[in-house]
Amino acid sequence: MPTALNTTLHSIPVVQAAIADGESLFLAGSRQALSRLPRGHWIGGTISYFMTEEGGQLSEDRIFVTRIPEFARSVSTADYGPGQIARIYQDAPENGFTYLVVPASSEVHKAFAQQAPDCDGFLLRPVVGWVAGVRVDRIGYESPAVFNGKTGAVLEDRCAALHVALPPNRLADIDIVNIFESGAGDVIRFVQPSFRVTRCLIAGKPANLADYISAHGIHTQFPLVGDYNGSSINVSFQNVDPIAHAVDFYAPVFPGVDYRFAKPVNDYAGAFTRQMAEDGPDPDFACNCILNYLYGNLEGKKTGRVTGPITFGEIAHQLLNQTLVRLYLRDIG
Amino acid sequence: MIPDIHHPVWTQIVSGKKPLPSTRATLNLLIQSNKMSYQRDPSPANVDELVAKTHKFFTQYEALFAAEIAKIL
Repeated sequence: MPTALNTTLHSIPVVQAAIADGESLFLAGSRQALSRLPRGHWIGGTISYFMTEEGGQLSEDRIFVTRIPEFARSVSTADYGPGQIARIYQDAPENGFTYLVVPASSEVHKAFAQQAPDCDGFLLRPVVGWVAGVRVDRIGYESPAVFNGKTGAVLEDRCAALHVALPPNRLADIDIVNIFESGAGDVIRFVQPSFRVTRCLIAGKPANLADYISAHGIHTQFPLVGDYNGSSINVSFQNVDPIAHAVDFYAPVFPGVDYRFAKPVNDYAGAFTRQMAEDGPDPDFACNCILNYLYGNLEGKKTGRVTGPITFGEIAHQLLNQTLVRLYLRDIG
Repeated sequence: MIPDIHHPVWTQIVSGKKPLPSTRATLNLLIQSNKMSYQRDPSPANVDELVAKTHKFFTQYEALFAAEIAKIL
């Protein structure tokens, strides 16, 4: 019996061997690396940035492996198009969770972001994962992709899912670590779910968000923070277009949520480490955001003990930005 | 102990009339989702759906949310 893989970066031959041995895996790596894997019980997505035991790093020839624990009752792979978001929850196990990886800037990315919160099963069938991307110097030249290892499909317009059923004594517990909190500025509200915004309400008055950002010199490397019953949920800025007077986000904003600009954070690595310092067990899975890696200069820096891919968006039930997501498979006795 | 699904406290929770503060994002996503849905559609049929979902949530996650469950009543 082969030794089970640790949750970390591994060479391609080691991952090939694990797949051949029948392990069920959730993988993150470059397109070239993932393309060299055989068919088997795995899904994966393209990304080349990772949190490792040595700190943040870029790698194109190794693959980050999250293995499905042996206590899982069953594992199945599937992929879904933008018109099939509700099916993710229909196919998810009654007790368990779903790993999901979604190609960035695709229609299925937008569909999941906007539709997931309204799907039957949202929160009750936990979904955790991330958004696949490319090296930042290749944005616009290469496309993110996800892989369904069962079928061998490489997909740029569908998301890949690994549905994992758990025994009755295990419960999937997803949490987030957000180093950002709301600033003291005006409350911003939106009238419809959208990745692109022109008009909004600021302090209750109609306004143009792009104009407001320009007029107030807002630093858009820090996110907009939504107040979800006291939890801070980030939406990151992709672009502020002064010609079109429009703002593009990496996740949709929603009506009914109070947003504010975030308080600035200077020491990203320190902020993550402080928030996670008192935590006990290591998570079964984690991912962090590429914007934290870039804006926080996290290359070579550790973010607590947590390892995992550094991604173009995080999924903790719904799409998040600039957030560290963790999954724990709790033993509830 | 989780109140029976027919207890009026669930309607108060899903409508936002009874706050249920938590530090846990999963529960806070549910509370916010309920609030947004209730604002869009406060009909009795939708309230019943939200109550059913919320009750199921606490039943499913009872082992994780003991502190919050203790504050329901």
